[in-house]
Amino acid sequence: MKIAKKQEADKLTLTLVLNGRLDTTTSSLLAEEITPEALAEINELVMDMAGIDYVSSAGLRIILDAQKKMNQKNGKMTLVKVNGPVMEVFEMTGFSDILTIERA
Amino acid sequence: MISVKHLSKHFGGTEVLRDVNAEISKGEVISVIGPSGTGKSTFLRCLNLLETPSGGEIFVDGENLLAPSTDILKIRRKMGMVFQSFNLFSHLMVIENLMMGPVHLLKTGRQEAYDEGMRLLAMVGLAAKSHAYPDELSGGQKQRVAIARTLAMKPEVVLFDEPTSALDPTMVSEVLAVIRKLAENGMTMMIVTHEMKFAKDVSTRVFYMDDGEIYEEGTPRQIFETPQRRKTRAFIHKIRTWEYVISSRAFDIYRMNAELEEFAAKQLLSQHRLHNIQLVIEELVMNLLLPKTENIVISVDVSEENGAVEMRFLFGGPPQDPLLEDSEDGELSRMILQKLTVHAGFGAKQGDNSLTLQLKEPKQ
Repeated sequence: MKIAKKQEADKLTLTLVLNGRLDTTTSSLLAEEITPEALAEINELVMDMAGIDYVSSAGLRIILDAQKKMNQKNGKMTLVKVNGPVMEVFEMTGFSDILTIERA
Repeated sequence: MISVKHLSKHFGGTEVLRDVNAEISKGEVISVIGPSGTGKSTFLRCLNLLETPSGGEIFVDGENLLAPSTDILKIRRKMGMVFQSFNLFSHLMVIENLMMGPVHLLKTGRQEAYDEGMRLLAMVGLAAKSHAYPDELSGGQKQRVAIARTLAMKPEVVLFDEPTSALDPTMVSEVLAVIRKLAENGMTMMIVTHEMKFAKDVSTRVFYMDDGEIYEEGTPRQIFETPQRRKTRAFIHKIRTWEYVISSRAFDIYRMNAELEEFAAKQLLSQHRLHNIQLVIEELVMNLLLPKTENIVISVDVSEENGAVEMRFLFGGPPQDPLLEDSEDGELSRMILQKLTVHAGFGAKQGDNSLTLQLKEPKQ
């Protein structure tokens, strides 16, 4: 999986553009991008999921962790451009009810 | 009529038939099916001693075929054989091919043999070709002549050794129609065939051969609709299997996924279906099994017939169904597994556990 970072000019929104598989072998890459330090200055986190076609529970845990961190600082997190098969995994685990998701 | 007991046959060190047992009664039509190389043709050829069995007994009408005192030619005459490659005499006209056996071996008069030959040619739809040479005929016509020639010897049983395998697909049905007609007339027959629909329609019993034996036998309905044993099911449903052995927590998951992708591509599985299989394997293996054992064997069965996917996991560790645990760690994984699969059985025996999961059909 590859991750590209985009920061808005106001530095309050961080967009992570994810590409590839978010699974056991790659979820640690995402974990490294959502450390407390990385999120310290922002109030909105966006994950662009257009390039993700596979998510397993290992990836879900990191996404949930990011959501918790943003909640703690009263920030917002949105997953955008989520593909059908990935959406199915969010739905079967109930994640679609607790995350803010915009479908592709 | 024919009774086969513990028949075995090896060619050098290769064992083709291990232990074949069968009872065949008058009027039965038996199809012999199974993968290539499982001894179907060898079995047939042993029945009329075209191959000499290595062991066992064959009784025809109570006479032991393998006893030194038995008149083999006499018994062989009771059993006609139709070969894959016709074996007609190319220098003789069709009717002469039919007359040769009766005139020379049965000592039938020429006129009688001719009349009978013409009757049989009419029956296989080739009366008009009686004076043609085999080379003037199509493959399907040649095979129909070969069947008529076999019948001219008035056999009590006809053995067919893949009678349509050498034919152009367009000619298969004309030959099968003739065999079907014989079946309707009550001829006792054994047919080695790859034509499953035909075997299903025409047989009174089906022998599924594998592992050098009659692995499963039954009515066409039993064998084709509710086969009981694993290899029979795999053959009938055209199941292809992928297997992967894990023996360490540090196994190469990239390699496993790459091999699975290659297999899925060969089976024309969609990307979505492949991902669901990978997800099932990842959730079960990484999160539920590996924490308890390092010995896991994964196999994925795909039916070419209907695309159904069944996954089997054999693993060590405590005898406990991983889907019925209530550890918090595995909750997400179990949720995904329950949504993606149908639980088709868990078993534990002497430290070996097995779990079978069927992938649910994709939503339309």
